[in-house]
Amino acid sequence: MDAVEKANSERQKKWTKDQKVGEGTYAVVYRGREVSTGRKVAIKKIKVSQFKDGLDMSAIREVKYLRELQHQNVIELLDVFSSKTNLNLVLEFLDTDLEMIIKDRTLVFLPADIKSWMAMTFRGLEYCHRNFILHRDLKPNNLLVASDGQLKLADFGLARDFADPGYKMTCQVITRWYRPPELLFGSRYYSAAVDIWSVGCIFAELMLRTPYLPGESDMDQLKTTFRALGTPTEEEWPGHTKLPDYVPVGQFPKTPLRDLFTAASADTLNLLSKCLVYEPRKRIGAKEALNHPYFFALPNPSHPSKLPKSSNMASTRALEEVDGNVDQNVAGPAVKAAAPNRLKRKLNSPGDELASRSIARRLDFSQPKQP
Amino acid sequence: MSMPAQVPQIASPSSSAKKPLYEGSTQYKNWRFSPEKLTRIRASLNAAAVSVIRNTFEADEPGSSSNVLFLTADEEHLLVKLYISKISQLCGHFRFPEEVEATAVSYMKRFYLKNTVMDWHPKNVMLTALFLATKTTNNPISLETYTSHIPKTIPSDVLDLEFLVAQSLGFEFAVWHAHRALWGIWLDLQSLPDTPPDQSQDIYDTATMHVRASRLTDAELIYSPSQIALACMSLASPAFASQWAGSKIPSLADTLQPTIETIKSLITQAGHPPDVESVRTVDRRLKLCKNPEKVVGSKAYLAKKAEEERKAEEKRSRKADEIRKAMENGDPFGDELSWQEKEEKIKEIVDEDDND
Ligand SMILES: Nc1ncnc2c1ncn2[C@@H]1O[C@H](COP(=O)(O)OP(=O)(O)OP(=O)(O)O)[C@@H](O)[C@H]1O
Ligand SMILES: [Mg+2]
Repeated sequence: MDAVEKANSERQKKWTKDQKVGEGTYAVVYRGREVSTGRKVAIKKIKVSQFKDGLDMSAIREVKYLRELQHQNVIELLDVFSSKTNLNLVLEFLDTDLEMIIKDRTLVFLPADIKSWMAMTFRGLEYCHRNFILHRDLKPNNLLVASDGQLKLADFGLARDFADPGYKMTCQVITRWYRPPELLFGSRYYSAAVDIWSVGCIFAELMLRTPYLPGESDMDQLKTTFRALGTPTEEEWPGHTKLPDYVPVGQFPKTPLRDLFTAASADTLNLLSKCLVYEPRKRIGAKEALNHPYFFALPNPSHPSKLPKSSNMASTRALEEVDGNVDQNVAGPAVKAAAPNRLKRKLNSPGDELASRSIARRLDFSQPKQP
Repeated sequence: MSMPAQVPQIASPSSSAKKPLYEGSTQYKNWRFSPEKLTRIRASLNAAAVSVIRNTFEADEPGSSSNVLFLTADEEHLLVKLYISKISQLCGHFRFPEEVEATAVSYMKRFYLKNTVMDWHPKNVMLTALFLATKTTNNPISLETYTSHIPKTIPSDVLDLEFLVAQSLGFEFAVWHAHRALWGIWLDLQSLPDTPPDQSQDIYDTATMHVRASRLTDAELIYSPSQIALACMSLASPAFASQWAGSKIPSLADTLQPTIETIKSLITQAGHPPDVESVRTVDRRLKLCKNPEKVVGSKAYLAKKAEEERKAEEKRSRKADEIRKAMENGDPFGDELSWQEKEEKIKEIVDEDDND
């Protein structure tokens, strides 16, 4: 055997693959273990053979960025190995995600809890931006939560670097509800500010316990956004009417955030409003956000281990584990249905979220070359 | 915003608390070597390949390896260098951005620190490395378009090696490049108060040419991107280079100087494509000494495949037995499955595992 193949198979032997725990658009995720320590891991198996252009772009992005990133608030890629026609990413195992926590009606969030999740999100994001990496798909479902309560940015399948200034990028990124207006208007030259907008939407969602700007189509997304935050004026966002896909969607007055977020502190609303500034260049940066008075005012952020956590998570997972797999410890009847939380996720997503996301990936692929 | 033109081993005072980004990279950790180490790696890869291939020849026909003139490590290196120079031609043809070209070149160099030319011909590796680089730098084109523009190449030529190349790179796709560091230096220079403004564009262009030449050398496997960039700037204009160093890294400017000089001479001596005639001789000899196990359709290749298939089959039936046994002691599929359904299930599971 070649040295390279041998090294690969040795890496492969370090991990065991157990039950299937979920399925994404381009991968199946299994629970597994590190053989030497028994440590629980997630193994994301990417189906390679189905792609006629070879290794899939999402997989490549995910591997490329996660290989370089090491931060408490970014999911850890422990290893990568290939098997005949598959690529396997070994990731730290994370129990749940922020979407499930938000949706769990039995949980009560204190302002200190929200502050803690926001701090962890901004820390992870500041690290990515410092490394010139845009995430481009921030949403509660991509903020995973470890058993010790640490929140981790995950799913780097749409990430890219932005070291090159003035480099044209696709605007078909970020799940619609978390997509900033500059992208909805077709801007191709954007920056770290796109991720900040998404974080603003997540911040609002943590307080509201329901998505803040749930547009039903791209056009409706603009309307929903402007209805909530007022139609931008030329003064507050110079030049926006010149963006490629600009369309007037009607005049909506500015209503104070206070009207909707009745219980929030002034600091909270001040930071929120700075994340949702229309003019991308005036939107707050991740580093600046971390220095915002909100994070220094009382209450102090909750300790991660004290954060609310779904209890039904474990049982949901247990059902999925049997799906199409052998689990010799489970004596119960076979469960052949699709993974419930996967389905739930899809139903709860905006109508064509998954479709538009795969389009984004496709578009990227056929992007015309710049001379 | 630009990549900071930081010279490694030098933390700028403002970021001293945080590790400079480059120093946390896989490139810094896994892809830097001393010149001696590079020589050793190549020599031992070469020796190992020669012994394997010799054995294969002997197994096929005893005595047949004695007349074969195997390639030396230097000859292998020469051939790789030729194909590295071809990457640049192809990129010009496709009008790929510089990032793609530089990344593909790095992939080629890294690949041949894990593999030998006698196993994998650099022409094919080059095509795969370049295609992979278009994707990892986010400049993808369809495989079909790619291969249709390259004579005598079909998609499978590229795809067959993609996994091997990715594996050889350790799936470490991110590369830090000298041309970016150079750009950072140039931006810095423009903001210095006493920069002679007029010829700065020419100097940048000349320095960029030297960066391109450096891609034909081992520089990136030994030095940091900013060191290479500074050396290239120094080749274009020693005055500019020392001005930059004096303003950005005053305390280190002197200690760095010998390194910069070494890089400069490496680039001037080795930074050009090899003589085509001499490479042609090497390539001709390669045909006689390449590993027959890697030549699709050869006797040795078929023998190896058959052996692999036998092992896989063994594994499959072992797995099926295990599952059957497990089912007998405590049925994981429940009682409502018929015998046929269970057999189906076993097959599914075994196949699933098999493509692992
Ligand atoms: N690190 C992990 N630890 C535990 N479970 C995980 C982990 N990563 C993913 N999962 C589970 O696997 C499922 C699929 O994950 P994946 O990231 O492939 O897709 P997704 O994000 O749900 O969908 P998409 O591919 O559309 O983004 C997740 O919904 C989650 O249940
Ligand atoms: Mg996801």
